[in-house]
Amino acid sequence: MSIIQQHTQATLSDAWRTINIDALQEDSSVNFDTSTLHPALPETSEAEVRQLTNQVRQLLRGGDAEGALRGCLESPVYRGRDEAKEAHLQTVIEVLQSIKASDMTPMLQRIYASPGGTECLDVLMKYLYKGMAVTSGGAGKSNPQTPTRMTPQQTGFSQMSGRPGGSSESTGGAMSVLLSWHEKVVDVAGLGCIGRCMTDWRKV
Amino acid sequence: MAAPEVHHLFHNPIADHSFSADRKTLAIARDTTVELYSKVGSAFKLKDELKGHDKTVTSVDIAPNSGRIVSCSQGKSTPVARNRHGVVLDRNALVWEPSPQGYKPTLVLLRINRAATFVRWSPSETKFAVGSGDRLIAVCYFEEENDWWVSKHLKKPIRSTVTTVAWHPNSVLLAAGSTDAHARVFSSFVKGVDSRPEPGVWGERLPFNTVCGEYLNNSAGWVHAVAFSPSGDALAFAAHDSSITVVYPSGPDQPPKAVISINTQLLPFMSLIWNGEAEIVAAGYDCEAFRFKGGLNGWVLSGTLESKGRPGLGEGREESALNMFRQMDLKGKVKDDTQLKTVHQNTITTLRPYETSGGSVRKFTSSGVDGRIVIWHT
Amino acid sequence: MSQSLRPYLQAVRSSLTAALCLSNFASQTAERHNVPEVEARTSPEVLLTPLTIARNENERVLIEPSINSIRISIKIKQADEIEHILVHKFTRFLTQRAESFFILRRKPIKVVGYDISFLITNFHTEEMLKHKLVDFIIQFMEEVDKEISEMKLFLNARARFVAESFLTPFD
Repeated sequence: MSIIQQHTQATLSDAWRTINIDALQEDSSVNFDTSTLHPALPETSEAEVRQLTNQVRQLLRGGDAEGALRGCLESPVYRGRDEAKEAHLQTVIEVLQSIKASDMTPMLQRIYASPGGTECLDVLMKYLYKGMAVTSGGAGKSNPQTPTRMTPQQTGFSQMSGRPGGSSESTGGAMSVLLSWHEKVVDVAGLGCIGRCMTDWRKV
Repeated sequence: MAAPEVHHLFHNPIADHSFSADRKTLAIARDTTVELYSKVGSAFKLKDELKGHDKTVTSVDIAPNSGRIVSCSQGKSTPVARNRHGVVLDRNALVWEPSPQGYKPTLVLLRINRAATFVRWSPSETKFAVGSGDRLIAVCYFEEENDWWVSKHLKKPIRSTVTTVAWHPNSVLLAAGSTDAHARVFSSFVKGVDSRPEPGVWGERLPFNTVCGEYLNNSAGWVHAVAFSPSGDALAFAAHDSSITVVYPSGPDQPPKAVISINTQLLPFMSLIWNGEAEIVAAGYDCEAFRFKGGLNGWVLSGTLESKGRPGLGEGREESALNMFRQMDLKGKVKDDTQLKTVHQNTITTLRPYETSGGSVRKFTSSGVDGRIVIWHT
Repeated sequence: MSQSLRPYLQAVRSSLTAALCLSNFASQTAERHNVPEVEARTSPEVLLTPLTIARNENERVLIEPSINSIRISIKIKQADEIEHILVHKFTRFLTQRAESFFILRRKPIKVVGYDISFLITNFHTEEMLKHKLVDFIIQFMEEVDKEISEMKLFLNARARFVAESFLTPFD
């Protein structure tokens, strides 16, 4: 081995090869400040979310599902702790699950036609996508599935996993509610609504 | 409403198109060349190809009076010549001078080192503006003593690629849209080229790079198109959140009189033009043109310009039983759905006024990714 | 088609149609380059919010849109270990032939759990019909489940046959 090779192996790692030099330059496009892409957003605390949840539940118990839905869509949690966002998502899902399938379309049409209605449905769409992302992928991401059983064919495939949990029926049920809402919202608010979920930097 | 006049030129995307003032010459940005078509009978025939760019041509514009063509491309700084100070002359924008021997390219000293995305002549034809991926706009004007086009940069506060520009009728104000989701209005006043503009709703004193307005949508899509109303007192822009926003400024350093946003149910719009002060025509990913109507008190989407149920396409077509069963057998479906019901078969990239009379647009043209040029009646 | 598959595919279809609004966009970081921004990830403002559509824990689609390209990743249903093996072999077979599929990515994205990914750029939407591209993805999702369960049946039948002929001498 040459002296240069010995030297580099002993003293240097090759971590420098993977440094992203662009990120170190302040005016590089990598360092675009995405907070300039949305107006200033108020912060929502968990207490406020809890209060809203109680109001919404009261409306639900009173039979005013539309009011409950509007209530939680008009005050989305754009800025706040993850727990607050999560709690609000649960409230929205709770309301969605309590509404009968036959009531969905007329209710969405009424909301869409009212002032500020397009905004409401955009928010609803964001929650639908978030709901599907969190309930399906959340568990998988935080504790990646570990191999439970060794089999002789292990080498052929790296991510041998145990049987996916038996809870799939219950999440499947929650999903199908979200999916049917998704379909109805697209019917009423069009593809533009999905487009705005993607472009909007006010994330729920 | 008369049927639109469709010209299917080829099977490549048309990034931009421009007609000469007499409407006999049509310039088209196709791949790395600018193609010139002339009207023979009812069809367009390829007359000339302007080669000089080495990357995709992104935009082309013909000046109505002088007949000069300006084009720009994604390629940059091919060192084609150096002046005596050793400055590299960029080649991503070229001005083509009409001459008896054909078009002669003139260099433009752009001083940008990313793609040029969009170019438009000012109404006075003494300047043109080039939007670029270098996060700036180059305002170019001719320098007599050196015999080339030089540029001044509008830089602040643009933070991302400039996707589109549009001139105010006074040739000083310039609107620009960018992928940082802002539509902005700048002053591009160049001493010695422009005469001092009248004070207006956008501002009174307008030195170069004054920012006269900066607008952002709530749902923040990339801005694809901007346009001043014919009077220049309102600005419309279309963004990737499928919206159109119309801004009515009230005066310098004051909040605008009204900012009206219409969030549509459609896919985003790529281009828009004003028809008078109370109508906007916009088109984009839905492959058809839509009409918006309104004013200071609000705007609404009033409908499409496509006449439904045109003969020869769609539902009306008769199919033989044999063909139908063959389709079902081969593809397992009853209908052949490779054709869209719209005239354009892919995204519409640019709209341009074609014939105007008394302040309103009678006819306009559209070009699309499908290689079609269509002349529409409003 | 089963009752819950239809809304799932419908949601994927509408999300894809909305996401496939691509334009030609040259790189802001490297001059004279035009790269899929969703892969390069060098300009945050041209990347859009990713969308997840899920039918249940085992079946979901991730759509990552950007200004000139989108990435679609699919988690194919795997109910047991046999299906897991079959899905792995099947996707391997396809990705090794990725160039014949134009929009297929040679590797699934790094996010855990996705079996196969597609990359669609503005050059694809310029050349091909957008609604047909969407149809292709939907059809793939429909077919792949069918294919896997068919293969599983076939595998079981074969295993039974092998076991029978192996054990016959001891009869």
